Amino acid sequence: MIGLLRAEWLKQRSIWSPLLLLACMVGLVVLIVALHGKTIPVRALSGESGQFEIAGQGQRLSTLFGALLGAMSITTEFRHGTIRPLLLATPNRGRVLLAKILVAVLMGGVFGLVAATVSIAVADVALSTRGIAILLTQSDVMSLLVGSAVAAALWAGIGVGLGAAARNQAAIMVALCTWLLFIEGVLFEAFGVGKGGWFLPGSLAREAIGRDSAALLAPGPAILLLCLYVVVVAAVGWMALSRRDVA
Amino acid sequence: MQVESLTKVYRTVRAVDQLSFALTPGTVTGFLGANGAGKTTTLRLLLGLAQPTSGKALVFGRRYSELQRPATQVGAVLESNDFHPWRSGRNHLRALAYAAGIPAERIAEVLEIVELSGAADRPVGGYSLGMRQRLGLASALLGDPKLLILDEPANGLDPVGVHWLRNFIRGFAELGRTVLVSSHVLAEVAQTVDRVVIIHRGRLMADAKLDEVAEPGESLEAAYLRLTGGGRQ
Repeated sequence: MIGLLRAEWLKQRSIWSPLLLLACMVGLVVLIVALHGKTIPVRALSGESGQFEIAGQGQRLSTLFGALLGAMSITTEFRHGTIRPLLLATPNRGRVLLAKILVAVLMGGVFGLVAATVSIAVADVALSTRGIAILLTQSDVMSLLVGSAVAAALWAGIGVGLGAAARNQAAIMVALCTWLLFIEGVLFEAFGVGKGGWFLPGSLAREAIGRDSAALLAPGPAILLLCLYVVVVAAVGWMALSRRDVA
Repeated sequence: MQVESLTKVYRTVRAVDQLSFALTPGTVTGFLGANGAGKTTTLRLLLGLAQPTSGKALVFGRRYSELQRPATQVGAVLESNDFHPWRSGRNHLRALAYAAGIPAERIAEVLEIVELSGAADRPVGGYSLGMRQRLGLASALLGDPKLLILDEPANGLDPVGVHWLRNFIRGFAELGRTVLVSSHVLAEVAQTVDRVVIIHRGRLMADAKLDEVAEPGESLEAAYLRLTGGGRQ
């Protein structure tokens, strides 16, 4: 297992894709937090909850990019055919999948930390330039950092499981963006799905950072439930990877 | 390596149909058939990448997935382009060595064998087809295997590359090891192999020594066409 983890870590380090994803994510976090900080009325930003909402934008993006990172870590193997030599070197597909999940979770956590840090820093600058006093406490900052890291890490695991099940890189990336940005991000919020919406995996990622007054679950239970999603999706991915032929 | 009544059905297509043959240790065996005859499917079944509908495909008496450290027993190249174009040749081999539990020192040795040491730190995307074929071969040789399985290894190679590959395969077999090389280029195979296994529409047509499969005065190509009824799928 150690060898597989080293192999997976080397694979992630030896191509530019993870760094490009990270750079895109940081760029979007800067853009979105700066725009929010610039355009939202001062009155809405004067309270702690408004400031927390802006600084929490990094979590949304790191959840998406963590999921993309996880999905790419396995769909890239199918896209470039490297799954064949990999499975010849290690025919145990379950261990291959587990190694990918563990490395993706670690890297997803880093994505979450980076996004939250950048988000907090840009929010701080944006609010300061408008003369708004920063009300975020040390506890708020810790919630943002830890919640974002855990949410992105777990969504990276979900991404690997989905990638193993679907295999098609373009399709899975479009599906992840559509789900997190459109279906959960817009449709459910616009039309409302009742309290059940808070049990969906994207919402659980938001609940992981806490402080959302409308949220149903505290960060702890939300993270536990998100872990359950990871286990279920990984199991589906494992079954698909184990049973289906590799062309 | 042994195949017994191996059958693979994809929906309505019988890609491999009751195929049985075995390899003789220390020989180079040509696995011949037209495009779509079932060669690659058979190799995938042997290597555990696909599951047979029925029958057995065994390597050293076991299914590939049951082998202990399989890379040290079987080396295989199925495609000439199984690389990430942004990753260097050396890192491609390093990742496989880690995954297979093979010491990293072996990487320099296999790069030397396939004459790729000078290009090992360049991204594979810039490699020629011949260099990719040799990198694939280096991957297969990482575990210093006793059996080498190559699927259409001469595809796209220039005459120098073909000559190099032929010498390599012969040299590998002279060490007492076994090679199964699939091809549809009969003239090339005739210069390299000791035995031939010919399949047509997934079925075994011949399994014999090279000099036994053809009648006196008959070329391998003529024998192939006779055995496969013209060779078309």
